[in-house]
Amino acid sequence: MNYWLQLKTVMLWEYHRFFKIKNELIGIVIMLVFFVIGFFGSSYAFKASQDKSPIHVAEGVDGELIELLSENFDVTILDDREQETFIAELPERKSGSLLTQEGATFEVHSWRNSGRIKELQSYLDEYRSGLAMREIDLPKESLQYVLKPATVKEVYYFTAGSRERRIMAIFFSGMMVMAVFISFAYQFTAITGEKQLRITEQIVSAIRPQVWMDGKILGITLTGFSSILIYTIISILGGIIYFQITGSPLSSVLAYLHLPSILLFLSFTVVGVLLWNSVLAAIASIITDPNNSVKSSLMILPSLFVGASFLLLLNPDNHVAVFLSWFPLFSASAMPMRFVVTDVAWWELMGSFIFLALAFYFIRKLAARIFHVSILINGNEPTWKDVFRMLKESK
Amino acid sequence: MAKQEILKVEGLRKRFKDIDAVNKISFSVAEGDVFAFLGPNGAGKTTTIRILMDIIHADEGAISWNLKGQGNGFSIASLLGYLPEERGLYLDLPVINSLIYLAGIRGMQKSKAKIAAMHWLEKLELADRANEKLQALSKGNQQKIQFIASILHEPEFVILDEPFSGFDPINQEKFIEFIKEINYNGTTVLLSAHQMPLVEKVANKVFLINDGCEIYNGSLSDIYNKFGDRMVIDLAFEDHAPLNKVSEIEEVEDIESVDEKQIKVTFMPGTKMEPILNKLSGFAGITEFRTQKYTLHDIFLNLVKNHRS
Repeated sequence: MNYWLQLKTVMLWEYHRFFKIKNELIGIVIMLVFFVIGFFGSSYAFKASQDKSPIHVAEGVDGELIELLSENFDVTILDDREQETFIAELPERKSGSLLTQEGATFEVHSWRNSGRIKELQSYLDEYRSGLAMREIDLPKESLQYVLKPATVKEVYYFTAGSRERRIMAIFFSGMMVMAVFISFAYQFTAITGEKQLRITEQIVSAIRPQVWMDGKILGITLTGFSSILIYTIISILGGIIYFQITGSPLSSVLAYLHLPSILLFLSFTVVGVLLWNSVLAAIASIITDPNNSVKSSLMILPSLFVGASFLLLLNPDNHVAVFLSWFPLFSASAMPMRFVVTDVAWWELMGSFIFLALAFYFIRKLAARIFHVSILINGNEPTWKDVFRMLKESK
Repeated sequence: MAKQEILKVEGLRKRFKDIDAVNKISFSVAEGDVFAFLGPNGAGKTTTIRILMDIIHADEGAISWNLKGQGNGFSIASLLGYLPEERGLYLDLPVINSLIYLAGIRGMQKSKAKIAAMHWLEKLELADRANEKLQALSKGNQQKIQFIASILHEPEFVILDEPFSGFDPINQEKFIEFIKEINYNGTTVLLSAHQMPLVEKVANKVFLINDGCEIYNGSLSDIYNKFGDRMVIDLAFEDHAPLNKVSEIEEVEDIESVDEKQIKVTFMPGTKMEPILNKLSGFAGITEFRTQKYTLHDIFLNLVKNHRS
């Protein structure tokens, strides 16, 4: 039985073992329920925040200020006795604010600082500016002229990057983070779990460890991408529905679908996920008990690496950014990110992709070798030193 | 006509740290054999088997396979069956799915694997549980599934490491019949087991290993001829068995105490019955006297004991 046939058997076995369309749909329904609750909840909260909030002002406050405040606050005027009562009851009531005025100085009494106080501050600033302008006899137009920003003609020489492409790059990097997270869970079950169930000996008596490892990497990668495909389709449908409801033309959605960019991003994403799955598989091969192994924490690393590449959006042309876009552990997300925000030559794209593919090729081989030397270890987990020694001896 | 050798092992050696787990052993298995690979715990049986299955590599020595299917596009692995000592299957998946997959990675078509799996499940009275998850089955039934997984793809050669462990006596007897059946249908068997009375019923060749070294390699009939010409007598006494007095009999080779009243006495090769009867007549209070054949179990114990001493 040849390599490809066995690979197909193992890959499909892992895929069907983990990808359950029923579970995916249940997950989506739960997600939609949370979305609906979140949407209506935030809408309600936003609506509530738009209501006028109450404010108490002392009798002596200037009428012009009270008028200004009334635009956004529900103003109640308190006499001296009521002011004392208000302040005395604040620790118990824990809400509301009282504004007093002594000439050009204001005092605010409130239980704690909040956004409403900042809002109040802006009204007080506006009131004070008005008073000051009158004092020095400055017309409003003159003030606007003084504060007018400088006129700058912007001339950019890199114009290929667009908002749509940038969003696509972020989307594919996000997809990679998600695929790696999904793989993280499945690799434990597929490799460490299989070792714990002691199935491994039976399997590797029938197939070479490399076939076993390749089948697992491909099967789990396929599982991750199948889940993501479902979410992508739902996202696109959601986008179309959103644009329909908001009255935007369908071309707003289609603007995101630039085929050459999609092919480029997808190629980097697929090989990137395969590479990280190989790294995860190598780590999972050493772990004998995921509940007690310190190496389990290493499984979270890929997400941090992929996530770090988002920082490239801030400064895509410095040396660190260029290095990350070539270094295989980062490049799958870093190079597409650089590509959309700065000028990247075709040979850089090719070179980075070849490095990425080579890294995948060799790490999957290393993962199979680590698995092979640690197949029968079920007791004490080997240290990195042990693994290195076993790899050396296995030569 | 001599049967064709299908497995030849020469000078196999494997060291773990400073210990020789397997120390230059050689043997061969011919087509149609049921080859019993025997030895006490830690003797090197499982290590040898794992080397044969290419799970671990030997430090020295050579293994050559000569299977009919070789050269017809089949890998050695697809022509072999393996029941590992460390059992394990996918507990959270239906029995039939696991069986089809395990046959699949050894090259069997899915449709054929399903038919064969149902045939064996029926034989082992588990057909109605084919779609249940393995974890719903008892340990004994899980063991049966494991056995099916090792022979489902109709291998030319199967290695069964401790096939009887975990079974009750009734199922042990059934498995003797299953092993005979697959052997009759053309599968050569190498089995490692501790249950000597069961091995005696099915094996035609025996290899004894102790501390990684060969202590016997030959046919089952030869081992009886060579080491089995000893008389064994079970004796029971009214009161305490007089161990010291019995051991003074010149022809006694070994005494095994069953309990405080019963002993099992093994005599030197070639010992005649009559003088022994005369000597035993001098002992008072014998309530039971029974002669028995020197079994493979006895030979095994004796050879291991001699090897250690």
